Amino acid sequence: MFGFPRLAKLAAEGKSGQELIDLLLNELAKFTGPDWEQEDDITLVTLRRSGAGPAATASTALTEFELASEPGNERIAIDRVAAAVGDLELPPARLERLKTAVGEAVMNAIEHGNHNRPELPVGVRVTRSGAELSVRVTDQGGDRPVLQAERPDLEAKLAGEQSPRGWGLFLIESMVDELRTSADGRQHAVELIVRLEGVDNHG
Amino acid sequence: MAEFRAAVRQRDGAAVVDLHGQIDRAASGPLAAAYADAAAQTPGAIVLNFEGVDYINSTGIALIVGLLARARAEHRAIGACGLSDHYREIFEITRLSDFMGIYADEDSAAAAPAAAANTGRQS
Repeated sequence: MFGFPRLAKLAAEGKSGQELIDLLLNELAKFTGPDWEQEDDITLVTLRRSGAGPAATASTALTEFELASEPGNERIAIDRVAAAVGDLELPPARLERLKTAVGEAVMNAIEHGNHNRPELPVGVRVTRSGAELSVRVTDQGGDRPVLQAERPDLEAKLAGEQSPRGWGLFLIESMVDELRTSADGRQHAVELIVRLEGVDNHG
Repeated sequence: MAEFRAAVRQRDGAAVVDLHGQIDRAASGPLAAAYADAAAQTPGAIVLNFEGVDYINSTGIALIVGLLARARAEHRAIGACGLSDHYREIFEITRLSDFMGIYADEDSAAAAPAAAANTGRQS
């Protein structure tokens, strides 16, 4: 039997997410050998525990503001979010990625959520909860579908078979550790998650 | 916020397009005009010099994809130089770097054979 002790030992090797799942599946394949016939489904879910207590995981708002839905205002959002997370001393590359994700999320909210109507606000809220940084961008287009990011087909775009556009959501997802999207019929929200492991965790 | 502008010059048989400012929707017209100018100046490779670029958004990526599509239709090589580490990463994530040569600086791009300018190899 593969057994929990073996599973716990493998999980303690330090891998997480998809890497951990791949490791477990490889080890299981080695354990069973090539002639084993699988009798049931295999479902693996990985969870990450922050390790911090309730006080440390309380959410702290770093900034919250609204912007008019006018093209170009995403640059204001980028600057304000960058200033708000300045004390976290993110590595420069991670900060640049976050800035790009924020810009794209706000641009989507302005164009696709609020249809460039200046009177409709785009909300930006930056919070820190334990080792997780969240930038939540909301618009007033809560009735539009919640899209999942897909990798654009560059070959098709270069061949003229698809529009050269359609990079926003893919870029956002590529720039942060996790992208959460939701809609409640009134507001549409995109939440950008950056894990702060390796970043100074005080405060 | 720096307004986008582009200037074309020739170097070693290639056209170098010096890009400045931010590449977003507002860059559409000037970028297309610069490409047309560069294509008119040489049948050879076109090198996009991003050294003066401080911001590229997804619309800017789409504009570059459009230029690349046009160049491929014309069987013309395109190279890029002067990208910051961040935008070099974005060119890799989007796979633009699979279809255009990415060079650290203009000298490296100019030294590359025109035929190799779209191999995606980095200097």
